[in-house]
Amino acid sequence: MRLLLVEDDRLLAEGLASQLEKAGFSVDTTRTAREAILLGEQEDYRVGILDLGLPDGNGLDVLRKWRSSNASFPVLILTARGYWEDKVNGLKAGADDYLAKPFQTEELIARLNAIVRRSEGRVQTLVTAGRFVLDENRQNLKMEDGTEHSLTGTEFRLLRCLMSRPGQVFSKEQLMEQLYNLNESPNENTIEAYIRRLRKLVGPETIATRRGQGYLFNDAV
Amino acid sequence: MTLFRKPVSVKGTLLLLLLPAGIGLIAIAWLVQGLLLERMSREFVEGRLKDEVAFLEHHIRQAEGQIDMLQTGDYFEEVFHHAFAIKSPDQTVISPQSWSPLLSPLLQPDEQKSIRVNNAKISNAPSDILAYRKSFSVKDIPITVIVSEDMGALQNSQAELHAWTAIVSILLIFLLVGIIWFGINQSMRPVVSLQAALKRLQSGEISRINARAPEEFRPLVQQLNQLLDSLDQRLERSRDALANLSHSVKTPIAAVRQILEDTERALPLALREEMAARLNDIDRQLEAEMRRSRFAGPQVGKSAQPVKQARDLLWMLGRLYPDKTFELSTGVSEERRWPFEEHDLNEILGNLLDNAGKWSRRCIELSLRETRGQMRIVISDDGPGVAESALGSLGTRGLRLDEQTPGHGLGLAIVAEIVQRYQGSLAFTQKDSQGFVATVEVPIERRSD
Repeated sequence: MRLLLVEDDRLLAEGLASQLEKAGFSVDTTRTAREAILLGEQEDYRVGILDLGLPDGNGLDVLRKWRSSNASFPVLILTARGYWEDKVNGLKAGADDYLAKPFQTEELIARLNAIVRRSEGRVQTLVTAGRFVLDENRQNLKMEDGTEHSLTGTEFRLLRCLMSRPGQVFSKEQLMEQLYNLNESPNENTIEAYIRRLRKLVGPETIATRRGQGYLFNDAV
Repeated sequence: MTLFRKPVSVKGTLLLLLLPAGIGLIAIAWLVQGLLLERMSREFVEGRLKDEVAFLEHHIRQAEGQIDMLQTGDYFEEVFHHAFAIKSPDQTVISPQSWSPLLSPLLQPDEQKSIRVNNAKISNAPSDILAYRKSFSVKDIPITVIVSEDMGALQNSQAELHAWTAIVSILLIFLLVGIIWFGINQSMRPVVSLQAALKRLQSGEISRINARAPEEFRPLVQQLNQLLDSLDQRLERSRDALANLSHSVKTPIAAVRQILEDTERALPLALREEMAARLNDIDRQLEAEMRRSRFAGPQVGKSAQPVKQARDLLWMLGRLYPDKTFELSTGVSEERRWPFEEHDLNEILGNLLDNAGKWSRRCIELSLRETRGQMRIVISDDGPGVAESALGSLGTRGLRLDEQTPGHGLGLAIVAEIVQRYQGSLAFTQKDSQGFVATVEVPIERRSD
């Protein structure tokens, strides 16, 4: 299994590489962002480990370059900073997992295996309807102008349901099946609240109300 | 184009506003006084002239229209000090004689009224008079009477009075300037003392401002002092943290180095493990102190958007735990800001959500609410929860009830510490059926200590 390790600390990189080789990965190591971008774009890796603090650039920029050139192998980010906003930004840039230094090699390997497994059955699943593209893997909505909005679980499921068949009316009961809730009895108000939130994202006309019947996704708007 | 550079000081602004206003108002008062004086004297003279005409008429009627029967000559002039003219069809009397060229044209039997003559250029007679004319008939003899007064003299004294008023007004203006200057200086005095206090603060002579500031500046001084307090506290905290850190980090470093320097010594497994344990200690200490020093506590002028931050974190955790669903239920609008420092709120939400994510089976729900001045964050999951007996010890630093799941055992302790700093409360409850609920309640308005 080919693995790209981007880490500028030589000692750490060497140690990691040999442990990863032992775990069955075939490891390419690089210390610079420039080389990392090239390798990621040219070679076919199954998984990547990316340190955020590189001497000639930010790891997040490397990641964005990879993602924009369709290098879609799963990436685990390594960093010394454990801020929550760093994790959010890392995942938004296209990472799949995040590990703070120092870490134990077993944990790293377990996480790598997990993201590889997760990416295995993964095909590029995009639902397109009208001006919007829903990315099922990343659970976000891409607008016409390229901006992305991340969705929470239920928002995503509701939108996927509506966008899967544009123009078809879904009743509130049908939509309620998409609702996971800790409360025992989810009610129709909850659906309305979610629809309001989704309309804020896609515009009020895009999700139309059919009085007494339900909602539909209007892809002609 | 600006005529004046806008003055920056309060004193300058006040002077620039008050001085022209004061001068302008006094000038207006002086002008109005002039107009009133003029009108008053004219009305007064007119009244007297009317009386005299009535007096003359009375005499003429007594003399039954025979003007020459009247005791003319200087009599009336001496009584009235006024010039007069009487005209009947066959006789005209004008006294004094020198006024006749001036008065005779006015002797038309016309309606009775006061007449003003200005700038009459006749020698021996005044150029400016006020006259009152009345026509009547006695035994069918039409008679016209005019009494007039020389206004020139009156106007001269009037002008003199006006000039005096002007002088007094100018004196008043000077007085006004003085009073304004004094008033401004007096009211600015506390500000000056504040300025001095700031200077002394800067040079380190004093550590807090305790000058008696005027009411308007008191919040400013208070805020400044609070800022200085929190700065001091922060410095102290970071010094303590560094001291703790170097104390607990240097010893393990020394131990490990000792072992590595001894080239003779072999590295058996037990020793390796011990070294690794020491390094782990260092890491734990470092992480604990760093996270402690990272959170800011309540800050003036800092706020966070809870819904936006919650959304990001929920999405991120949804990616990290792909088989679990993270839901948000909020009664707070998207744009609402809470008085949290952004990092602090992230730390609260992130740690609690991450814990819930680790333990839940399928679903985690975050609820943000705002009720009666309280911000309320509730995170519930459907995991096995925690034994009733252990609930109380949750959030104790370094305590980990989950030895298998990775972590420092710091998360809840950090949350507890942050919440305490915001004068809020953190509570854990076990749900009857299944699941665990963490509730954070923080007042929006903090009591000032």
